[in-house]
Amino acid sequence: MTALTAARRMLHLGWVALTNCVFYPVMLLWTICGAALFPIGFPLWKGVTRWDSARIMRQFIWIYGRVWILLTFPFLRIRLARFPGPVTKPGILVVNHLSFLDTYVMGALPFSDVVFAVRAWPFKMFWYAPFMRLAEYMNVEELGWEGCLSTCKRLFGSGAYVLFFPEGHRSKDGKIQRFHSGPFKIAVETGVPVIPLCITGTDTVLPPFRRFVRPAKVCLHVLPPVYPSAYSGPDAHLKMSKDVKQQMVDHLSLMKEGLHRTGKAAL
Amino acid sequence: MTDSEIIRLIDTSLAEEFELDQATLTPDAHIYEDLGLDSLDMVDMVVVLEKAFHFKIREEEAIREIRTLGDIHEFVLSKKREMGA
Repeated sequence: MTALTAARRMLHLGWVALTNCVFYPVMLLWTICGAALFPIGFPLWKGVTRWDSARIMRQFIWIYGRVWILLTFPFLRIRLARFPGPVTKPGILVVNHLSFLDTYVMGALPFSDVVFAVRAWPFKMFWYAPFMRLAEYMNVEELGWEGCLSTCKRLFGSGAYVLFFPEGHRSKDGKIQRFHSGPFKIAVETGVPVIPLCITGTDTVLPPFRRFVRPAKVCLHVLPPVYPSAYSGPDAHLKMSKDVKQQMVDHLSLMKEGLHRTGKAAL
Repeated sequence: MTDSEIIRLIDTSLAEEFELDQATLTPDAHIYEDLGLDSLDMVDMVVVLEKAFHFKIREEEAIREIRTLGDIHEFVLSKKREMGA
């Protein structure tokens, strides 16, 4: 090993150590500050905008994510996502799942009115659960199919986005897993398009079952919307699910190889 | 179509649709616990079987009793026999 390689390695280890020293305290501090500012900001914002409480809460969560992205720079270099064309509204956002941090990265989206559809366990985090409930996040295990469908219909009526992790769980090896068909069934039932989101890098920062973080570049790409009207028959949602998954697999492959700039749907 | 061909078609259709490992497809595999499917997947499973075997089974009460892959095999085999009779 040359002296230069050894020096580079030491620098890298120092950078990783610094990231870990800064990342969690900053995250904790910002969460406490955010919770403390909330009782002042919420009524103020409600008075100014006259929006319903859930929409305001969703905007606050988005701001929380956006500030988290700014605070964690340059350890996590997260590029803000842009739509590849005109913004489609409402929509069903489907994103691949690599890390617990994926939810925070959604602060990189160019809009704030996003309802997360999640399983029951995130609602057990007592420090986030009240805000999640106020934002009307969907507990898909509690709601069941009929409950999810009616909630989505109401949310789409108000122009909101609903975000799903169709894999259901974080990927343990970085590869995209089987898609559950729920979001696509909702798309077919409601006529609302699916907007695929591709995320890379969060599995390097904080993969499942690891506690220390590693600095990395995180990218979130928005692919063109996929319309359910292109599919028909009793298995329309299954065909749509397969197509969307294939698009995401292809785009993620380009992103990982750093070739996404040449891809049609690249930002 | 022989019984073993029917069973093979069931297994390959489900493996393809739900991205299941062929090794997990044993008759005693529990639909939820071993194959990791959920209630919505069961609805999709009906669609997949209907497409593979060109029959309508969504209104059948017996589907609600299915717990294992072996139950699915039995259900489809009896449905095929019923259609053939």
